[in-house]
Parts: sequence; C-alpha cells; structure tokens
Amino acid sequence: MFDLVREIGQTLRNNRLRTVLTGISVSWGIFMLIVLLGASRGVTNYFEHAMSSQSNNVISFWSGVTSMPYKGYKDGRYIGLKSSDIDAILNDNPGKVSNVIAFASVDTARISTSLDVLTNGFEAVYPGAQATNGIEMSHGRFINERDIADARRVIVLAAKNARLLFGSDSLAVGKTVQSLGLAWTVAGVYDHRWRSQSMVPYTAYKAVTGNTDDAYELDVTVEGLETEADGKAAEKSIRTTLAQRHEFHPDDPNAVWVWNSFTSYLTNKAANRYLELAVWVIGIFTLLTGIVGVSNIMFVSVRERTHEIGIRRAIGAKPRSVLAQILAESVAVTAIFGYIGIVAGTFVLQIIASVIGDVEGFRNPTVDMSIAVKVTVALIVAGAVAGLFPALKAIKVKPVEALRDE
Amino acid sequence: MIITLRDVNKTYPGVVPLHVLKDINLEIERGELVSIMGASGSGKSTLLNILGILDNYDSGDYLLDGVEIKNLSENRAAELRNRLIGFVFQSFNLINYKNALENVALPLFYQGIGRRKRNAMAMEQLERMGLADRAHHLPGELSGGQKQRVAIARALVTNPSIILADEPTGALDSHTSKEVMEVFRRLNAEGMTIVIVTHDPGVGAATNRIIRIVDGEINNDNV
Repeated sequence: MFDLVREIGQTLRNNRLRTVLTGISVSWGIFMLIVLLGASRGVTNYFEHAMSSQSNNVISFWSGVTSMPYKGYKDGRYIGLKSSDIDAILNDNPGKVSNVIAFASVDTARISTSLDVLTNGFEAVYPGAQATNGIEMSHGRFINERDIADARRVIVLAAKNARLLFGSDSLAVGKTVQSLGLAWTVAGVYDHRWRSQSMVPYTAYKAVTGNTDDAYELDVTVEGLETEADGKAAEKSIRTTLAQRHEFHPDDPNAVWVWNSFTSYLTNKAANRYLELAVWVIGIFTLLTGIVGVSNIMFVSVRERTHEIGIRRAIGAKPRSVLAQILAESVAVTAIFGYIGIVAGTFVLQIIASVIGDVEGFRNPTVDMSIAVKVTVALIVAGAVAGLFPALKAIKVKPVEALRDE
Repeated sequence: MIITLRDVNKTYPGVVPLHVLKDINLEIERGELVSIMGASGSGKSTLLNILGILDNYDSGDYLLDGVEIKNLSENRAAELRNRLIGFVFQSFNLINYKNALENVALPLFYQGIGRRKRNAMAMEQLERMGLADRAHHLPGELSGGQKQRVAIARALVTNPSIILADEPTGALDSHTSKEVMEVFRRLNAEGMTIVIVTHDPGVGAATNRIIRIVDGEINNDNV
C-alpha cells in the first residue's frame, strides 16, 4: 500500500504541470459544488427557521361567503365564525384537536395615552395566539389563561407602538391606555418582524362589545399528524363540524377559508428537498467537467507512458497492478485537488456568512459533516470513473512495446 | 535443457500471411552463452519475443526451465517473465524518473517484496556491477555503459533462469560494447545462462555458440 502511494507520488511529481492543470478543474468543480450546496443550505435553513418560529400543526379557518346553494339557502350567504364553534370542534374531534382559539378584531378602536393615539384598532385573542403567530415578548408577558377566565382588561402592544404611546417600550408594562372609553393595563410588549397589532383577551373583548361572539378566524391545533393525508383528513373533519353548525355544503370551497400549516409545512419540506436535489445535480455536472478533464489527462498519460508500461509488463507487472496504479493515480489526483476545492469552498462560505450574515431568505450558509462525507465519496467514485477507461486502455499495452524502439 | 523448442511455427496474419518462424527446433543447455544472429527481417526478434514469453506461437512446443509455455494467461505470463527471465534491451529501458536503485528493485516490487529488502537486494546487484556509488543517480545522469549495467543488474535481481539480451550493445560504442560483453562472459562463468540476439558479428564472436537464423529457419547452429 505504502509502495503504491510512493509510486503515485513519483509519477505525479514527474508530471507536475499536467497534474496541477487537471487538478484545478477538479478543484473548481468541487468548489462550485460546495458553494452551491452551502448557498442552498442557507435558503433551506432560512425556510426551516421561518417554519420553526410558527407552529406547523395549526389549521386556520376564516369566515367566508358560500358559493353553493344548500338546504334551501341560496349561495352568496356570509358565514361568520363564532367563538362558540370552539367547543363543537373540540367535542367532534376528541384526542385529535388539542386546542382551538378564536380571533376577533375591533378595527375602529382607538388606543390612546396622554402622549399619542393609535387608530388601527385591536385584536381579541387567546393565549395560544402567541405560539401560532410566533410572538416573542420583549417586556412583560402575553395574555394568559387568567386574563381569559376573568375577562381582564389588559393589552399587549408591539414595541414600536409602545414607544409611540409611552416614549419607551420598557416603561410601558403596568401603565394604562384608554380604548373604547375604558382603561386597559399594558401586560407586555413584543417585538416581531412585521406584526404590530395590539391584542386583548377574547373574553374582555366579548364583555366590552356586549357579548358578541363573532370570530374572524379560528386556529385549530391538531395533534398526531404524520402524513399529508392526516393533514387533509383533519381539515375535512373540522370543516364538516363547521358546515353542520353554519349550514353550508361541506364541499363548498368558499364558505370558510382554510390555511393548513401542516400541509404547507410538508410542501415546504418537499420544496427544500427538491432544491437540494437540484443543487446536487448542478454540482455533479460541474464536477463532471472536472472528471472528463481528469479522464482526458489520464488518457494522455497512458499514451505517453505506453513504453514505460511496456517495460513494467516485460519485467513482471501483471495487468491488474497496471490497472490498480492508473486507477489509484486518478483517484489520488481527484481526491487531493477535490480536497483543496472543499477547503476553498468552505472558506468562501464562511466569508459569505460573515459578510452578509442572516438576511431575509438566507441563513447560516454552511456545509455540515454529512455533506463533506457525501462529497468525498462522490470524489473517490469520480476519480475511479475518470481513471477506469484510461486504465483499461493501459492494460491492453503489450509488453512487446518495451522492445520496440521509440 | 533450459530451453527446448520443438517445431515452433509463427505466422503473422494479414492479406498476405507472413510465415516468420518455420519449424524451429532449438535446445539450449543450462550455463550456455549463446548468440542468435540474423539479418533484420530474418525472424530473430520474433524468436526472442517467443523465448521471452512476450509473444505467443501458433504450433509446436516450448519448454522453459521445465515449464511448458503455452496458452498462458496474461497474469501467468507476467509471473513467469518476472521469475524465470531477466531482460536486457538495446535501449536500456530504464524508467527515467526512477534512480538506478529503484529501477533495479522494480521487478521485486511486482513480487510483493518489502521496500527495505528490495533495496538491499538491488544494492547487492549494483555492487556486483560496480555501480554502488551510482545507486541514487537517475538514468539521465549515467553513461550508456553504466545504464546497460544497471539494466543487467535489474535482469539479475530476481535470480532468473536465463538472461535474454536484445542487441545489448546496439546503442553503445565499441569500447563500451566490449566492457558489456565482458560482464556477460563473467556472469556466464558464474553459471548464468545467457541468450543474446544480435546482428553484430563481434558480439556473436564473444559467445560460445552462434545460432544463425535466415528467413525464419535455423540455418547454422555452430557450437
């Protein structure tokens, strides 16, 4: 084994320029493969991060307008969801639905302090809204079960709104704001990339608006989802409950609007897989150019060394040792220069990561150990493939070649 | 007998088939120093290729040191060449990027002998050829005579049954040729069987037996 390594080292050193030129094309191929894989990893990491900050087992329903006549009703009828639907959904899907929360909004409400006024209303929510909307509190707390049970008049504000109303987001907690002629205590302040609505407990909303139980949205948390079929079945089951209660056709697509975060999550995951697959295909084809280069150079090398191979055969080299040597040389060239490509590619990815950082749509563009291993395997296979045909040509060299004068 | 050829025929196929060896019968005993002489195109190179297991023949029998050489696989042929035959070529056929020691050791590499032992055995042969001080020189740094002595050391390193030399002095001046022939005579005196193919009458005269080949037939076997 060590002897073979020495033999390879000697022949490669003997053909230094040719080896380096070929090697560069392999390095380039691997470099591109690594950078592409890293970049695609950046995109998928972003998607995964975005998905992880939101629940992926929630099915949301919105009020809609029927498009099919049903039980004597004409189409075009408004279907308003109710918070009373919550218990019906829980009762119809025991063990599957773990939680249902309702959302309502008062768009016209003004929220004011002595300092400023917000005019974009507030939303009435349940504690579960924090998880489904991916809200992280920067000060204080979110609406909790006690707030719901006691219909407490508390409010949660976005940081920028808290700054408007109180001049500082950290000082807002515990202070009061005025809305609908009543005083509300600020329970907490949150920071979100794009959400900014103010939120109050659903029960407090109910109390101050005269016991209305209108809900523009119901978020249903479903447990034990594995496949896309599970997601679809759960969606259909909940829709059937709503159809019975609101008397619309269960197949009417417009009566309620649905967004199934679980099936979207599966679609995103599949999209990520396809992206990675596409990158591998592109990368492998780039690498293929390098491999063809190696193959080509090995052919030239075999041709140039016909006489030498003839000498070796004459003094006792068996065809298989000639084959092994050419293959090993090819794998060595591919592996050494491929490794350089891996190192360079990883280095460039590190630079990209530190220069642009975690921007929208891109996050932590690095390759991990499993990719490095896969690429290494790809390299060795590539080297062997590149060397195979030249090696088969080399073993056809007859030892008589050695006797022939050049 | 170390070499026995019985009715060996060889024809190169083609539009006009070329019958290069015609019923060759030849016996060479252990310890002989023989030259095979003939003009170019006489078939002497083909005969050498067959003797060296580098080429096959169409009909007849060839026994080399008791081993029947017929219908061998490439692997078996390589093994027999490595073990039984030491080759010396006109153009030396050293590998130019390996130093003298590595060139001499190469046949042992194909026997799977370890590097340390290989180099020790190769060094012994270089010493025998008086080239110990040139062991780490590349062929390009050696004179023609030195190169041919390295090649002879390589032929000897596996302790073969015979040495086959193809025009071993063809690329050397007359003074160096004499030196190389002296080496062969000395090796023969030590008991080595040597077959030299040549068209040089001076080389033939330095051997103990001349086999003349004309138009694919042995014309005159002068013992």
